[in-house]
Amino acid sequence: MIALHGLSAAAGGFTAGPVDLEVGDGRYVVLLGPSGAGKSLVLEAVAGVRAAAGGAVTVEDADVTALPAERRRVGLVFQDGLLFPHLTVAANIAYGMRAARRDGAREAPAGRAARDAEVASLAEAVDAAALLSRRPATLSGGERQRVALARALAARPRALLLDEPLSAVDPEAREALQDVLRRVCRERRLPVLHVTHDRDEAFALADECAVMIAGRLHQTGRPLDVLRRPADAAVARFLGARNVLPARRDPRDPRVALLEAGGSLRVTDPLPSETAVVVVRPEDLRLGAASSPGTLAATVTRLTLQGGHVLVGLEAPGPLEALVPAGDLDAAGLGVGRPVTVTVRPADVHVLPGGLTGAASGALRAL
Amino acid sequence: MRGRRISPFWALCAVAGVILITFVALPAASMIVGAGAGLLGEALRQDDVRRSLVLTVTAALITTVIGFIVGVPVAYLLARRDFPGKRTIEGIIDLPIVFPHTAAGIALLTVYGRQGVVGRLLAPLGITFTETVAGIVLAMLFVSLPFLVDGARESFALVDERYEHVARTLGSSRFGAFARVTFPQAWRGVLAGAVLMWGRGISEFGAVVILAYNPKVISVLTFERFEGFGLHVAQPPAVLIVIVAFVVFLLVRTFLVPRRRSRTGVK
Repeated sequence: MIALHGLSAAAGGFTAGPVDLEVGDGRYVVLLGPSGAGKSLVLEAVAGVRAAAGGAVTVEDADVTALPAERRRVGLVFQDGLLFPHLTVAANIAYGMRAARRDGAREAPAGRAARDAEVASLAEAVDAAALLSRRPATLSGGERQRVALARALAARPRALLLDEPLSAVDPEAREALQDVLRRVCRERRLPVLHVTHDRDEAFALADECAVMIAGRLHQTGRPLDVLRRPADAAVARFLGARNVLPARRDPRDPRVALLEAGGSLRVTDPLPSETAVVVVRPEDLRLGAASSPGTLAATVTRLTLQGGHVLVGLEAPGPLEALVPAGDLDAAGLGVGRPVTVTVRPADVHVLPGGLTGAASGALRAL
Repeated sequence: MRGRRISPFWALCAVAGVILITFVALPAASMIVGAGAGLLGEALRQDDVRRSLVLTVTAALITTVIGFIVGVPVAYLLARRDFPGKRTIEGIIDLPIVFPHTAAGIALLTVYGRQGVVGRLLAPLGITFTETVAGIVLAMLFVSLPFLVDGARESFALVDERYEHVARTLGSSRFGAFARVTFPQAWRGVLAGAVLMWGRGISEFGAVVILAYNPKVISVLTFERFEGFGLHVAQPPAVLIVIVAFVVFLLVRTFLVPRRRSRTGVK
C-alpha cells in the first residue's frame, strides 16, 4: 500500500496539496484534474524526484519521505514513455533489475540468463515480445508505453505511478493499453496511482477517483459516485456536468429549486439550505415537443456534433445544455431557433448546499 | 522538362554562403599551395618544427582532458539547476571569449607568474608557469574552456531531465543516472565542445606567448620565423598545424558529431 499524508509539493510559487490519499494493494486510483492542477507535482513528490513541501509518503507503512527516489522502489511511467533512446527495448526493460536485487528485492533475477528470461517474460506480459531488439525511436506511442510499463515492473516496484500514460497514444491503441495496464497491475497486486486530465480514461480504469483542481484535492470516491454526486460546482463542471445552476429553495415546497435564471426543477430530497446549486448532467436533460407540468420551455440556440452525440445549446430562459444521440436529432425535430420542452427527473438533479461561494468561483475560474 | 525554379531568397542566401566560404577557404588554400609539398616535407624534417608540433598537439590534448574533468560537471550543473548568481557564473565562464588574448596572458601572469598570488605559493613546490609546458597548458585552458563548457551545457540541456527521474526510480543514483542515461545521450555534443576546445588550444598565440614563449608551440614558432626570416620560412609550420587541425575536425565532424537536420525536414 502507498499512502499520502497531507502531502504537498511546490514549484515556481505554486503549491499543490495537501493531499491525503491511500492506494491499497491491487487498487487503481486515478488522480484526475485539469492541466495545471498540480497532479504531476504531487506524483513527482511521491516518486521522490521532487522534494515534498509538506506531509509524508508511506510505502508498505514505512515512511519514505526522506528517502531519495532510488531507494523508494516506486515505479514511474511518463506520458511519452521516455525510453532510453540509446538502449534497445530489451536493455531498457533490464535497466532496473540489478538495482532491484541490490535493494533487497530477492526475487529479482540474478545473472545474465535469469535477467534475459525475466525480460522476455515481462515483454510477453505487456504484449511487447516482438519488440525486444528494436530501438525506441522505431516504436509507436502505444508500443513505447508498453515497454515503459515493463521497464518499471522489472525493477520490482512496491507501487506504480503513471503520469498521463495514455495521452500520447492514438485512440485505437489506447483501449488495448488500458487493458494491459489493468490486467498487469491487478495480477501483480500493485497499488497504482495514475494521473490524468482525461475523464474517460479515469472512469475506464479507476477503482477510485481523486479530483484535484487548482492544487486542491476536491473529492475522492468511486468513479460513479464522483460523476453522479460531485462534491462541489468545480468538480461538477470539470466532470462535464454542464448545467451548474444557482437556485433558491421554494418557500412553499422545499423539494422545488427555483432557478435564479428562471424556471424551477423538482428534486428528490428537500433543499438543505436557502440557496443551493443544482447540477444536471447534459445527458439527463430530456427534450420533447409537448409542454406539460414540470417541464421547462426552452429554445434551441446551437447544435454541436460530438462523436455520436449532439450537444444542444438551450435558452430556458437561462442557458442549459443537453446531450442527445445524433440519431435522435431529426426525430426530435431539433433545430436552431426551434422551441422545445426540457424535462429532468428529480433523481437526476444533484443538489449542492449553499451558493457559488468565493472559493467555488475561484475553482471554477481555474477550469 | 522544366527544372525547379529557385526562389530569389534562397539564391541570395547561397550567394552569401559562397562569399563566406571563399573568404575562409581562400587564405587557407593559398597558404597550403604556397608552401608546397616539398617545403612541407622539409619542415617536417626540421627538429624544432617536429618538437613544436608534438608539443602543441599534446599540450592542447592535456588542456582538453583537464577541461573535460572540470568543465563537464560545471556544464551539467548549469544545464540542470537554477541558483542565485547563475547568470554571473555563466558570464565569468564566457569571459575569456571576449578577452584580448594578450591581455589574458598578462592577467594569467599576474596570478600564476613568479610574483603572482598563486605562482608565489606554488614555486617552492617546483611548479612554475612561466616558460614551462604547464604555463602553455594554463594559457590554452584559460582561453578555450568556454568552448567545452558551453557545448556540453547545451548538450545536457537538450536531454529531458525526466529521463534521469525515470532512471532514479529504477534504482540509479544521481551519478548513475547521469553516467548511464544522460551522458550517453549528450556525449556527441560534449565531444564537439571538446574538439572545439582542443582546436582553440592548438591555435592559441597571444596568451601563450606572454606566459611561455619557450618551449615554443607552433604558433609562437611561426611568429618567430616570420619575424626573423620572413613569410616563406614561416609558412610550413603554419600549414602543418592547419592540416592537423583540419583533419581532426573533419574526422570528428564526419564520424562522431550528428548531422543537424533542418526543422522543416527540407534538405
